[in-house]
Amino acid sequence: MGEIFTFALIFSTIRFATPLIFAALGGMFSERSGVINIALEGLMLAGAFTAAVVTYETSNPFLGFGSAIIAGGLLAAVFAVACIEFNADQVVAGFGINILMLGVPAIISAAVYDSAGSTQQIDKAYQLPSYFDISFASFLAFALVPICWYILFKTPYGLRLRATGENPAAADAAGVKVLRMRYSGVIISGLLAAAGGAYLSIGQSSLFTKGMTAGRGFIALAALILAKWKPVPVMLACLFFGFTEALVIPLSSYKLASGENIPVQFIQIIPYVLTIIVLAGFIGLSRAPKALGIPYIKEK
Amino acid sequence: MKNRSFLFIIVLLSAVLLLSSCGDPIEARTDCKTKVGIVFDIGGKNDRSFNAAAWEGVQRAEKELNVCLYDVEPGNPTSIEPAMRAFAEKNFDLIIGVGFAQGPIMERVARDYPNIKFAIVDGVITDKDGKPFPNVASLVFREHEGSYLVGMIAAEKSKTGVLGFVGGMDIPLIHRFKTGYEEGARSINPNIKVVDNYVGVTDHAWNDPGKGKELALSQIEKGADVIFTAAGNSGLGAFDAVEKFGKGENGEARKFVIGVDSNQNMVKPGFVLTSMVKRVDNAVYNVVEEVRNNNFQGGFHVFGLDKDGVAYAVDENNRALIPEDVIKKVEDAKSKIVAGEIKVTDAMAK
Repeated sequence: MGEIFTFALIFSTIRFATPLIFAALGGMFSERSGVINIALEGLMLAGAFTAAVVTYETSNPFLGFGSAIIAGGLLAAVFAVACIEFNADQVVAGFGINILMLGVPAIISAAVYDSAGSTQQIDKAYQLPSYFDISFASFLAFALVPICWYILFKTPYGLRLRATGENPAAADAAGVKVLRMRYSGVIISGLLAAAGGAYLSIGQSSLFTKGMTAGRGFIALAALILAKWKPVPVMLACLFFGFTEALVIPLSSYKLASGENIPVQFIQIIPYVLTIIVLAGFIGLSRAPKALGIPYIKEK
Repeated sequence: MKNRSFLFIIVLLSAVLLLSSCGDPIEARTDCKTKVGIVFDIGGKNDRSFNAAAWEGVQRAEKELNVCLYDVEPGNPTSIEPAMRAFAEKNFDLIIGVGFAQGPIMERVARDYPNIKFAIVDGVITDKDGKPFPNVASLVFREHEGSYLVGMIAAEKSKTGVLGFVGGMDIPLIHRFKTGYEEGARSINPNIKVVDNYVGVTDHAWNDPGKGKELALSQIEKGADVIFTAAGNSGLGAFDAVEKFGKGENGEARKFVIGVDSNQNMVKPGFVLTSMVKRVDNAVYNVVEEVRNNNFQGGFHVFGLDKDGVAYAVDENNRALIPEDVIKKVEDAKSKIVAGEIKVTDAMAK
């Protein structure tokens, strides 16, 4: 067992957790304002793609990272218009964004690089820098946890955002601009989720490939629910999911006493089985913001 | 309010339709006798690996044989069949499917269009009795033989006695690379250890370079200093992983990666020990040529070391990394494999 639990496992956990933390913190702002954000996956893809393209074209990873965040914000604004302005079903609209982002990067990439599957690879010198073997983006992700906590629980903005998600009618009566709060929540979620995507394409690897988030947006959503929509538990939940993903790697090449490998299918279901166990058994009742998923229509 | 949301949906829908309808209509060109359609694997034609090799082959055919070439990069597995059927409906002369995953799909389509010729790369299509379809050429490669040779080179290069293998999807085709690699390495150093990992069990596995890098890093952690990848786009993550360790005092990389399918030596020059090249380009080119010259033959076309269907790549990017005597040993093993004196285990043989 000693060969499984190594120092490297910790670093691996941090790397796996980083994009999840960004996306889950983003999802928290959206859902705290009352908008279910199933579009995290698509927002991450938008960030990953923009970061890869801009970094490749300008050779400046920070410019790429920044553009990714802006792209995520813009895409989230589209999602917000559908959900908030037009009261679209939030789950359906979110899925629309996800499906859209499977196609749009492919079209642009095919037009620009003559390849729908992936973008050009970025030289190591132009990827996001690492310090002590930990990416710049990872530091940022962990730094965001207390910042988000402060914004959400210690500022008037955070109070209004939470009120909007719990009881929009009461918030409205108290003078809170409900729709504006929801817009801000959704757009912040886009900014953060896209940062997570950018980490995938220019921090952890060096190119964008189609659908490279591979479900991480949904895992972030699961982490958010597991963490009961609170920032510090969000970080812990993401670390937990990152850990299970990291654990799969040494386990899959672990030889049993008989010299056989454990069948890989059994190992690869570990993160999902653990998720179900934890969600079903250990956290108790997870109470969502009360107005989550309900469009707010002002009484006339 | 109702009307506005309706309008919004209309605008969105028409935008989606507009985007999806761009591109040349298939009938655009009429100036050629032979029409060839190619449907790529999910990785897309620029994966610098398997699909890229097929793309190179058909492009060469387009230039040299004056055929009309149309390609489709399917967005997801469900759009493969419609693409193939669209080509067939337009009476294409040859339809090429890239990748084992298209086997069952092509089997259905080829049965419905017996007058159209098909070729599948990496797949085997037979009817219930195990007889090949007369209108389908199954282009298969003896990957284990090429992998054996790069395994030898890896074992010669390794200082730690530990090698890594990063596979894409955990399937028999990829195990074939791994067993060949391991056997080749053992022939040099019987005590060598091979750490193997697979990216996943779904087709996401070809498109997750982040995970590919993690796998490579964990293998390096276990002592591996040469890592062979057979994982499409995910394999590129392993290239990033070895690059991270930089070059030592002697100017040589500390860790190496071995590329796959296409010659990937130039992806990260100096860090790529060699590439196990699968000449998908030649195989595809040949089948196009056969169709054009009307001597197409259905059934199995097997490409091994004998026909240079698989090979190890040596070029200006890696010549300095492999000593002459190693090349000699490898060439010796190569002729022994061709002559049948060395039998490399085929993980797919039942």
